[in-house]
Amino acid sequence: MINWESNVFPGILGRVCDRPCEPACRRGRVDKEPVAICRLKRIAADLKEDIHGRLPKVPAQKNGKKIACIGAGPASLTVARDLAVLGYQITVFDNGKSAGGMMRSQIPKFRLPDSVIDEECDYIIGLGVETRYGQQIESLKKVLEGGWDAVFVGTGAPRGRDADIPGRQEAAAQIHIGIDWLAKVAFGHLSNISKRVIVLGGGNTAMDCCRSARRLGGEDVKVVVRSGFEEMKASPWEKEEAQHEGIPILNFLVPKEFSHAKGKLIGVVFEKVRAEYDAKGRRSLVPTGEPDVLMECDEVLVAIGQENAFPWIEQDIGVQFDKWGMPVLDKTTLQSTLPKVFFGGDAALGPKNIITAVAQGHDAAISIDQFCKGKNLMERPPPLTNLVSQKMGIHEWSYDNQISEEERKKVPMKALESALKNINVELELGFDPRLAYAEAERCLNCDIETVFTPKICIECDACEDICPTECISFIGNGDEADLRGRLKAPAANLDQTLYVSTELKTGRVMVKDENICLHCGLCAERCPTGAWDMQKFLIQVAHAGAEVRRT
Amino acid sequence: MSAMSNVTAIQRCNDFVVKFANVNGSGSASANELFARAIIRMGVTVTPRNIFPSNIQGLPTWYEMRISDAGWRGSRGSCDLMVAMNPQTWDRDIAEIEPGGYLFYDSTKPLPRSKFRDDITVLGVPLTEICNREYSDLRQRQLFKNVMYVGALTALLDMEMAAVEKLISDQYRGKDKLISANFNALKLGYEYAKANLPCPIGLRIEHADSVGDNIFVNGNDACGLGAVYGGATVAAWYPITPSTSVIEAFTSYCRKYRTDPDNGAARYAIVQAEDELASIGMVIGASWNGARAFTATSGPGISLMQEFFGLAYFAEIPAVIFDVQRGGPSTGIPTRTQQSDLLSCAYASHGDTKHVLLFPEDPYECFSLGAQAFDLAERLQTPVFVMLDLDIGMNERLCKPFDWDDQRRYDRGKVMSYEELEAGKDFGRYLDVDGDGIPYRTIPGTHPTRGAFFTRGTSRNAYAKYSEMGEDYVYNMERLRRKFDTAKTLVPTAILREASGPSRFGVIYYGSTSPAMDEAFADLEGRGIHVNTLRVRSFPFGEDVLDFIAGHEYVFVVEQNESAQMRTLLINEGEIDPKRLVRVLHYDGTPITARFIANKIADALDERKVSPIRKQVAS
Amino acid sequence: MTYLAKPKLFRPDTPKNALGYTRRDYEGAISTLCAGCGHDSISAAIVQASFDLDIEPHRVAKLSGIGCSSKTTDYFLGNSHGFNSVHGRMPSVLTGAALANRDLIYMGVSGDGDSASIGIGQFAHAMRRGVNMTYIVENNGVYGLTKGQFSATADKGSKSKRGVINNDTPIDLVALALQLGATYVARSFSGDKEQLVPLIKGALRHHGAAFIDVLSPCVTFNNHAGSTKSYDYVREHNEAVNRIDVILPHDPISASYPPGSLRRVVQHDGSILLLRKLGADYDPSDRIEAMNHLHERHALGEIVTGLLYVDESAEDLHRHLNTVEKPLNQLRDAYLCPGSKALDALNASLR
Repeated sequence: MINWESNVFPGILGRVCDRPCEPACRRGRVDKEPVAICRLKRIAADLKEDIHGRLPKVPAQKNGKKIACIGAGPASLTVARDLAVLGYQITVFDNGKSAGGMMRSQIPKFRLPDSVIDEECDYIIGLGVETRYGQQIESLKKVLEGGWDAVFVGTGAPRGRDADIPGRQEAAAQIHIGIDWLAKVAFGHLSNISKRVIVLGGGNTAMDCCRSARRLGGEDVKVVVRSGFEEMKASPWEKEEAQHEGIPILNFLVPKEFSHAKGKLIGVVFEKVRAEYDAKGRRSLVPTGEPDVLMECDEVLVAIGQENAFPWIEQDIGVQFDKWGMPVLDKTTLQSTLPKVFFGGDAALGPKNIITAVAQGHDAAISIDQFCKGKNLMERPPPLTNLVSQKMGIHEWSYDNQISEEERKKVPMKALESALKNINVELELGFDPRLAYAEAERCLNCDIETVFTPKICIECDACEDICPTECISFIGNGDEADLRGRLKAPAANLDQTLYVSTELKTGRVMVKDENICLHCGLCAERCPTGAWDMQKFLIQVAHAGAEVRRT
Repeated sequence: MSAMSNVTAIQRCNDFVVKFANVNGSGSASANELFARAIIRMGVTVTPRNIFPSNIQGLPTWYEMRISDAGWRGSRGSCDLMVAMNPQTWDRDIAEIEPGGYLFYDSTKPLPRSKFRDDITVLGVPLTEICNREYSDLRQRQLFKNVMYVGALTALLDMEMAAVEKLISDQYRGKDKLISANFNALKLGYEYAKANLPCPIGLRIEHADSVGDNIFVNGNDACGLGAVYGGATVAAWYPITPSTSVIEAFTSYCRKYRTDPDNGAARYAIVQAEDELASIGMVIGASWNGARAFTATSGPGISLMQEFFGLAYFAEIPAVIFDVQRGGPSTGIPTRTQQSDLLSCAYASHGDTKHVLLFPEDPYECFSLGAQAFDLAERLQTPVFVMLDLDIGMNERLCKPFDWDDQRRYDRGKVMSYEELEAGKDFGRYLDVDGDGIPYRTIPGTHPTRGAFFTRGTSRNAYAKYSEMGEDYVYNMERLRRKFDTAKTLVPTAILREASGPSRFGVIYYGSTSPAMDEAFADLEGRGIHVNTLRVRSFPFGEDVLDFIAGHEYVFVVEQNESAQMRTLLINEGEIDPKRLVRVLHYDGTPITARFIANKIADALDERKVSPIRKQVAS
Repeated sequence: MTYLAKPKLFRPDTPKNALGYTRRDYEGAISTLCAGCGHDSISAAIVQASFDLDIEPHRVAKLSGIGCSSKTTDYFLGNSHGFNSVHGRMPSVLTGAALANRDLIYMGVSGDGDSASIGIGQFAHAMRRGVNMTYIVENNGVYGLTKGQFSATADKGSKSKRGVINNDTPIDLVALALQLGATYVARSFSGDKEQLVPLIKGALRHHGAAFIDVLSPCVTFNNHAGSTKSYDYVREHNEAVNRIDVILPHDPISASYPPGSLRRVVQHDGSILLLRKLGADYDPSDRIEAMNHLHERHALGEIVTGLLYVDESAEDLHRHLNTVEKPLNQLRDAYLCPGSKALDALNASLR
């Protein structure tokens, strides 16, 4: 349930998340790779028992407020879930046949089976949310006339960017927009592709395209990108998996022309470029002067980006758009210039990823709740926090302080040969419990805080001596920059604040650099007076309906 | 001179005992030794024994000289000629002379008749009077008096003056003044005797060839030399009689053989420690660090070293200890001989310990077993005790010449090298890799990242990590027992001597008892009593020792201590029925004699009313 | 104590010394001493000093006796051979080890019981002999492992945890070391690594008998009011005569000090000790003055710390014994065994 509460789609995100959390994981500061947080979420979801009994109960007595959520993607569903349990009447509109949005249409089944989407969407729908599938919304004005107390727009970024180069029209039959093609595949409208396929683009959609193509009969599938390999937008692991499946990624090649004959595609002509950086570090791609290359192929998938499109929102109803065609929003409240209209997900601030959409859904739900109650939208509930000592015995803690020194565990996969045969077979098997436990043991326990009580410290230096990463120093006081330089191991990560005590008996202060603290608890174990304690920090991300604390 | 009334004077050539009764600190020792060497130069086997007090000056000291053309080197008991130079012990000295024997004394001061015996020949030389006449310096009078009686004895025993003179020349080579002064004193005595006494008396020395190529050396000296040949580089010690001269010998042999010819630097280190605890501590430290190291001590030192022996045993560190045994308990009779440290060495230290002991019989074996002790200590990674005693250690003895095989290489035991560690060989300091109970060790400083371990006297696992787990402790103890079994196969074997006829009786003996036992064996054979003998040379006992006991109805265990320590070890280690091991114990501090052994065995057989099997007549 | 091994994870920018080792490479097993024990700080100081001096861990031999302090040799320099010998007898074992191989660095770690009571004899004689070693006494004034009896360094009048007053005169090992001829004598405090680390470094680079008495509070049995070995008491009464910096021959001298405040001592191996005088004009090259100063200040109830005496031209036991340059434990058979020919000649001389 912890998994579900803020994440909303643990099973889905545990498979396909962009993992913005992993680069932030502190394990990466002391080891080659961070903890596999994403895949641990997946196994937590995989192994759960029936959770229906634990789901929040929807109040029998509704609060009388009606909310329309346009689009049944992750942002809308999050809003629906957060508000449904508060007694709101939610109606979700979508042009598709079922909930999920781009999670269903754009992500290939071998990465995310429908069953997972169904299950996690159903938890939300099951909260008494009304759904109106197969309904293309043509006019926001009309919707607004429906008497909704608030409208949430979570329609995603539905339009794939095209490659507008010579030959595009002539060979149109063999050139497809990536996300549209993926959707056709997802819904079973398409089940094969020619043998030679070129995928243009370097994002995750390109990776999904090429890997899908491999599974639909593409034998010679390659990805061609303008930029260098490192700058590609696709997640490193996605690139890795594509390569693993025998898909070469060719870089510094700018498509110039679709070569065709008799209305049939022959291949793509590319110009070779290299990257140059100006004084400000901005990159430009400059032709190398080498001859252009023609790469022959039978079909091309264009996956060079997505755009928002709101043709159905009338210009005159009060929702303002900026010069890029994006709605003008308050970044905190996600409220549009028309007060009762809120945006979230890719539709709000441009294409990002699912977890961002969920986060925006939570924020929008808070805003809508405040709005409907007639309260100030800027007064937002804080997250719930709690600190609890973990000490059990002389050297026993109620958390696992023995940190595994092992490397990140690889997620077991199906054998490639069989995996490539069927696009609906999930490639990753997921961690088994043993592997998952071993991976979880790599966690540096960010939730456990080292809490220092200066007045009982006798300055024996035991904590300083035992600290495996030398993050504790007892030194004369000074300003932050000065302190950072004088620590036992200088604190170079300025993003990480220092923990500085009040002055101790000898006039020194205790300074702790949290940057690489392992939270192993050895400082507290070696402390004779209990001046150090390991305390569990619980944070519950704010959600709609929570008390707004007065400060 | 006075003649005897009723007994025939002893008439013997090359087979008698001369005893000198002196006051210690009077310079008599070197004169007496000079006399012994002169006889050896004539090809006659002489075995001298110094019986000295725990004192530097003024107390009685004796020098007993067994002269035996037959080659017997044990103490015989009593004497045929007493050179009585100490009024303090006069009465008992006179009493010790065999009937028909001779008394030589300084006749300067007249003595009443009652001070003599009727059944001996009295030979008086006014030594003091002559000295006073010849020398004005008090010290010279004292020293040359000794040389003078050697001169007189030379005449009385019919020895060649030239042999004695040659010896003096050899001894004081390059010091002409000393040579002529000694010659002079020698001559004064010689000539007085020739002129005034019935030379020769019934005791005579004649040229013979029983000495052969034997060398004349003491056991402590041989131990020191054995340590040099055994590759010892570190010696740490604390002075204690009768072991001190082991280190003195080691020092002088090191100076001679181990001084770097280029720069005079020492290839050895000798430290006189503050006590025996420090001595053995240094030995253990040096051995742990890969040098061959030893100490020399005696009983009280052994007592002080106990805790360290336990450490070396359990932490498995080589060490060599020369225990020159003396009479205990406590300070005991510190200048007398005994074999009474067996138990305190065999089971030295608290807890379950057991140590390797070697029992040399003479200086030759002090050298050879002394050198071998270093190989055994490193092979077995444990302390090894060389158990000699004052009788062997401090008395010159004729013995086989030392020998050394130049092909022999030191056995440094299981030491893991840099190359082996580098190659990733599994190193468990207390891991039994091949079943012999001996683990590999590493020498500190060998490899930057592999092979370091922590040595401790506490329980640990096979990889030297501290452990109080019962199974780790038991693993070690069982391995140590296996190691001790391995030791049985490496230590010197016992030496069997079969009687000329079949026998149901055996004799076990060891160490300095050897010459007395040789003679006793011949004596018993002469009496028609057949006993097989076994000289035990080491502990733990090999199968040969247990087989020997099993093969005899009774076995006499001949020892020079009061509590039958070897017998106790045999009973304990061999699970022998105590009734079958008969004690033959001599422990008054003097060396055991052939007469004592032969009589005890003969009497015991009589008491048991068992008659030894006589020679079977062929039918 | 803690029972979990210290995690091996460390920051990528962890400083490395000239040998490419991190401080962690100089650590040993996890300490089993009580939390907050001064001894653990001393172990950490030894780790720091060894790291700073670019010492190859395997070239160090660390020896100790028995007791809390002696256990610590397991807790630093895990790649060095260690030897936990018997109670009070470390000095002899160390002396023997030093005789066997003059090339290693010898570190002796002992306690006040181990060195001032049962082992005072061996302590004294090791100092007399000038064994080339760093001898550290972790001095807490009590027997820890047997639960709080006074040791011989407990001050007269100090109170035990159970309230007993000590009536016996204390032994000052620093005074003894000075009198017995140690050539590098210092006192420090486990709670002052700024002072302690350089003192250990200077001692490790000293060629002779170096002794450091380190007051090291026992948090469990001797850190109460009435104790004269508690953190508070030692901090209040600590009178440092100087502070030192140890500069290796290849180090640039970067720090600048006001003229006259500095004294340079060049040791046998070329290392330089820079002594910053504190307060009174103290001359650490004068053994007699050192002893006088010690006794005067002791009478005033002060604990004198710092480098109290150093002899620049110290000599060690090997020099006294004139042993060969090559370590004795590396001499092979041919250098040790005179062979059969020499023996034949010797036999002839014994006939």
